[in-house]
Amino acid sequence: MSTVSTLDRNDVREYALASFGRPRTRRSRTLFKGVEMRNFINFFHSFRMSVLLMAMMAFAVPCQAATMVDIYGPGQNQINLAMAAPLTAPNQRATVLGAELNDAINTDLNFLPFMKLTSPAAVLGGTVLAAWQGDQVDFRRFQIAGADLLVTAHWPSGDRENSTVELRVFETYSGKFVFGNAYSGVTHAEVPNVADRFCDDLMEALTGARGFFSSSLAFVKGDGRKRDVWVVRATGRDLRQVTNIPGSAMSPSWSPDGRYVVFSHLDDSTHALGIWDRLNNTVKRVRFPGNTVIGPCFLPDNRVAVSLSTGHYPDIFLLNRQFQRERPLEQSAAINVSPSFDSTGTKMAFTSSRLGSPQVFLKDFTTGTVTRVSMDGSYNSEPCISPDGTLIAYTKATPSGFRIFVHDMVTGYEQQISFGPGRDEQPAFAPDSYFVAFTSTRSGTSQIYLTTRHGGEAKHVPTGPGNASFPSWGK
Amino acid sequence: MKSLKSFGLVMVLALALGMGAGCAKKNAEVENVEPAPVVTTSAVDAAAQQITDGVVYFDFDKYDIKAEYRDMLQQKAELMKQYPSIRVRIEGNCDERGTQEYNLALGERRARAAYEYMIRLGVPAEQLDIISYGKERPAVEGTGEAVWAKNRRDEFNVIAR
Repeated sequence: MSTVSTLDRNDVREYALASFGRPRTRRSRTLFKGVEMRNFINFFHSFRMSVLLMAMMAFAVPCQAATMVDIYGPGQNQINLAMAAPLTAPNQRATVLGAELNDAINTDLNFLPFMKLTSPAAVLGGTVLAAWQGDQVDFRRFQIAGADLLVTAHWPSGDRENSTVELRVFETYSGKFVFGNAYSGVTHAEVPNVADRFCDDLMEALTGARGFFSSSLAFVKGDGRKRDVWVVRATGRDLRQVTNIPGSAMSPSWSPDGRYVVFSHLDDSTHALGIWDRLNNTVKRVRFPGNTVIGPCFLPDNRVAVSLSTGHYPDIFLLNRQFQRERPLEQSAAINVSPSFDSTGTKMAFTSSRLGSPQVFLKDFTTGTVTRVSMDGSYNSEPCISPDGTLIAYTKATPSGFRIFVHDMVTGYEQQISFGPGRDEQPAFAPDSYFVAFTSTRSGTSQIYLTTRHGGEAKHVPTGPGNASFPSWGK
Repeated sequence: MKSLKSFGLVMVLALALGMGAGCAKKNAEVENVEPAPVVTTSAVDAAAQQITDGVVYFDFDKYDIKAEYRDMLQQKAELMKQYPSIRVRIEGNCDERGTQEYNLALGERRARAAYEYMIRLGVPAEQLDIISYGKERPAVEGTGEAVWAKNRRDEFNVIAR
């Protein structure tokens, strides 16, 4: 297992002493506030001694907005990032783990829609540098190639198994150090994990949001009457099957504490709530009176809401911690399914047929009020409320098929974020309220894709052969 | 269907006989033909068959039992009252157009609509189960209204007799 430590601009030895951890802890959505805070913290890491406090404050001014991305804003930002060739020494290219790590970082960064990677061929003079930090770095060649940011990689003792790499990020126009981390004990097997951790740090430095590269998706994979729950990293690594029982799994939901994935399970004669316990890798089926179990979803407090039918219409019930029915959350003389909760647990989006056709509604538990969310169209379902409670993504039937729409709860503005072809459905907001996973048949079979709250090009999440559906985010 | 299978079996047997008993390989093929169906002579089996045969179809996104199926359900109900050993699982299904979770709920409504109708006709609840398969188990694969219409249905599966 590799370890990570924070680097500063000038003292490369600090990694040997520094404790593990994240380079920044503050999360901010405000562009300039975010810049100031990040600069402050970066410099705090750079000059820990109080005698340099004055110098630090002098430098803590907002840098160019070019290196910031407001991912919660209108979504038109783009960052151009160049990777310098990994080095073992000045002008000495690291060709073993160094090359692997640069490739892995490239692969990861391709998942960020606001990130445009500068082609090494576009850098006149090449990407092999005489230095990995400081004034000797020739930023100008990257400026000319259009890059806003430069990543350098230095392997001080070579790039063979169990070595250390220092990764640093600079702004090309100012030469400003953004952040740096050293990773020790790097092996071939650890390279993708190092890339993930670095890219999480980079994403946080640029946007204030972290966690995407370390997050996983639970989803359903299989065909016909045999479908199981699988998990995979959001970037497509570490694919594995977690249930293997006769019948069809549907609608997995990952507990916020990461311990359970619950799902509805359908065999020839019964519906059940399926529960995978990650702690001891067991799966059990819990049945309910009425033989109807639809669309379970965890609340932030690790309890489950699910639609059950007990002689009435399918209504949404809260289960207790033993997965037994506790009390109704929403009942009416109509179908009520597909609950989804914000991170406070006070807002629940759901689908109801109370007005005839399926439409998306929002229940506010602080007031008990239910308001209609989807206004256009005769078939709107599968809502997923963003953890920050500001947006509801849902599936709308359009003349060209199902498409994902996002409804802004503040402004009421609606935006289409998926464009087919085929069926796009089952949207799922990531914990950062930025990425949205969904299912699409655009390639012919059912597969999982990632887009963002702004839409844009959808990225395929590789899940191997077979149909994949019902993405659900976890840690 | 069963009479067709019986006819097919008779034809195969006739062919086998015609080819003569001397050819062991051909005889082996004859042995691989599926066994003749059990002849359903008993009254309870006939009743079970009658209950299974009638399928109730629905309009898109609807779960009300259309008037044209009321006689069929009445007939099923009478048979079930006549043969209390018969237990039926009503299986609600949807076409492929909706989303999966909503369709599981819609299938439940379709199954329950027939269930409640038959309960009102006096069938004891112990003789009836329901399940929704949503859109997961289409009767006919494909697209287009002709296909969809065949998939929006309640099937009546005799699980004990």
